[in-house]
Amino acid sequence: MKLARTPFFTTLRLMAVALACTTSIAYADDYGDVNQLLHAGKLGEAMVKAESYLATKPADPQMRFLKGVIQRNLGKQAEAIATFTKLTEDYPELPEPYNNLAVLYAGQNQFDKARAALEMAIRTNPSYATAHENLGDVYARLASQAYNKALQLDGANPAVPPKLALIRELFGPNNKGQHPTTAAAVAKPATPAPTAPAAVVSATPLATPAPVATAKPAASDSSAKEAKEVEDAVQAWARAWAAKDMTAYLGAYGREFDPAGKQSRNAWEAERRNRIVGKNTISVKLDNVSVTVNDSQAVAKFRQDYRSGTLAVSSRKTLDLVKTGNRWLIVKESTGN
Amino acid sequence: MKRHFIFLFFPALVGLALSAGAASHQKPASKATPAASARQQAAAKTKTAPRVKSKTAAKAQPVRSLKQPPSANGDLAEARLLTIYQLMATAQSSEALTQAEQLVKDHPHFQLAQLVYGDLLAARTRAVRVVGDVPEPLRTAAAPVLSELRDESQLRLKALRERPPAGALPSQFLALSARNKHAIAIDASRSRLYLLENRPTGLTLIADYYVSIGKSGLSKNAEGDLRTPLGVYFITSNLDPKSLKDFYGSGALPINYPNVLDSARGKTGGGIWLHGTPPSQFSRAPLATDGCVVLANPDLMALIRTVEVRTTPVVISQSLKWVTPNTARSESKPFEAALSAWQKAKSSGNMNQVLSFYSPNFNSNGKTLTQWTPSLRSELNLVQGRAIQLKDLSMLRWTDTADTMVVTFGEVTDGARTGPTKRQYWVRQGANWKIFYEGVIG
Repeated sequence: MKLARTPFFTTLRLMAVALACTTSIAYADDYGDVNQLLHAGKLGEAMVKAESYLATKPADPQMRFLKGVIQRNLGKQAEAIATFTKLTEDYPELPEPYNNLAVLYAGQNQFDKARAALEMAIRTNPSYATAHENLGDVYARLASQAYNKALQLDGANPAVPPKLALIRELFGPNNKGQHPTTAAAVAKPATPAPTAPAAVVSATPLATPAPVATAKPAASDSSAKEAKEVEDAVQAWARAWAAKDMTAYLGAYGREFDPAGKQSRNAWEAERRNRIVGKNTISVKLDNVSVTVNDSQAVAKFRQDYRSGTLAVSSRKTLDLVKTGNRWLIVKESTGN
Repeated sequence: MKRHFIFLFFPALVGLALSAGAASHQKPASKATPAASARQQAAAKTKTAPRVKSKTAAKAQPVRSLKQPPSANGDLAEARLLTIYQLMATAQSSEALTQAEQLVKDHPHFQLAQLVYGDLLAARTRAVRVVGDVPEPLRTAAAPVLSELRDESQLRLKALRERPPAGALPSQFLALSARNKHAIAIDASRSRLYLLENRPTGLTLIADYYVSIGKSGLSKNAEGDLRTPLGVYFITSNLDPKSLKDFYGSGALPINYPNVLDSARGKTGGGIWLHGTPPSQFSRAPLATDGCVVLANPDLMALIRTVEVRTTPVVISQSLKWVTPNTARSESKPFEAALSAWQKAKSSGNMNQVLSFYSPNFNSNGKTLTQWTPSLRSELNLVQGRAIQLKDLSMLRWTDTADTMVVTFGEVTDGARTGPTKRQYWVRQGANWKIFYEGVIG
């Protein structure tokens, strides 16, 4: 585990300081203490500390996560699974609980569950999800080539290049949703390499792609810039829809997104998938996009022209968005004013 | 303190390590080695091979565990494939994939390796259920090839799992002389060629290789029947690969089909070789040839480097029976008595006694017994009552519908330094052995 003083860590540290102005230093000590005990193998003591902390702050994800690790190291697999499962329910945007669930499931030879958990871990970052799917496509193509050589049927497979999904915009490395009520200085942990599920979710931090993601407290930026970001997000959502890029489309919706009509999030996602993937071509054009921004919330209104096959629908659409990390995510979608 | 704060997640995550074996992409257990799942027996493909009722029909005794092939095995490609199977069986799919990638790089025309490589790649994205889990429409289009590759896979694995017992030898080799430095035995039901070295300590298995035989199976009878002959043969020559078409690969070792027994039975055809594969194929399906015995080129080259022309016997059997040297010796006793008696008779110069050992069906290169007797008589006259010794004696037994013996020796008269090399074919009639061919071969 590298604790090197790279620019990345410097930035994180600065960010943490910036965001944690109001956070008591005592919190930092608590996490550190539990970690030290964990490292030293003093699991009983670590658990006592963790639980006493959670008695006052039961929702805190970081301490709950540490508790899960302690439980697992104590051999309390069922409890650890419960802890991490609850974390995934409360914070579905964090990959680490999913990864650790996979570790626990694999240890019980429940490989199907392990696989599902790792898939969820990957999906918390749409860029990784896309890369992972593309990787699968490429593996399938490589397999196909090998099969052709094995079976020596010339021209058996037409050489249609695979349609890999393009990622349309750069996401920052820290685009997981911050739970607004937690100690705001939850550090963004490195995301695991999705193609090596057997590896420990390692401590080596994700190499930041340029630009380095620095926190932008909303108040300090011009509202015009924010509005532009919101509009970009809305356009990206429309492009993803038209491209039937389910990963990017569904990824445009935030954790708090409330599907209309009391549908569960899963059911809504399944329905959207059904309605989108099956279409031959989809065209989504937005007109008269008007955006209003208020701190980390925004509303985008526009005319949406949807075409697919013989169906053409034009309607006025309203999207409520919330800034999470440095992304604007849709939390409400309605037709009409 | 702030450093701790930032790195809180990292140590916690480091604390949760997956053991390498436990977590893999797909379910390796369900993939399993090809041998573990139920599949058709390759031997069933031999359509009309006669079920010979004889001692040679018994099988090799199976050995308990999956072992590596003998180190003298020239077929490194097969050993590497086996290692890949073992890695797959122990859920080390990443390492298996790495090794498979290297194997197909080194042998791009090794179709079975490509199939396994394809499976390992596919396993990264979906569950792979059988060897060659090829998607449609390729699966239907290539069904026969797929079936052959699976047969090849199963036969290779089986040959490496079921080893001949240590110290045993094929039952046909009752005795070999120092001139027979090596011997070859082919077990058609296993698609395997066994190379044995004749050491002072006895006949020892030094290598074995996967082989392909005739499309129509075994027991060649006639020209063009696409069958591989069964019997005791000798390598007659070593053909220069440069003089051969690409199809034959690295070279060819013709064998003497039809041998004397085959000819006596009226069998026709010829041109049965041990040869290699064309450039575009590393190895062929188990039943693929026009009757020849085909090896991968590296294996054939190992064979050619090792064996001597004319003195290397080649036994081709439907199914080899491996016996201990003691058993072989005791099996040969009744015949040895007959051979010894013939030798005594010839040494004694008693023409009639000698003649009693020859079958009425005797035929030596066209000469019947009557036609051949004069030369026998002049031989005895030359010897003039001196004893003859049988040097460098080898005895090879072939039993199918008849019990026969192929005997080779140098016939040296006492007082002489050397003598002609002779070959005799004997057949057992009831309790008696009779010669139905005799000739000078060197």
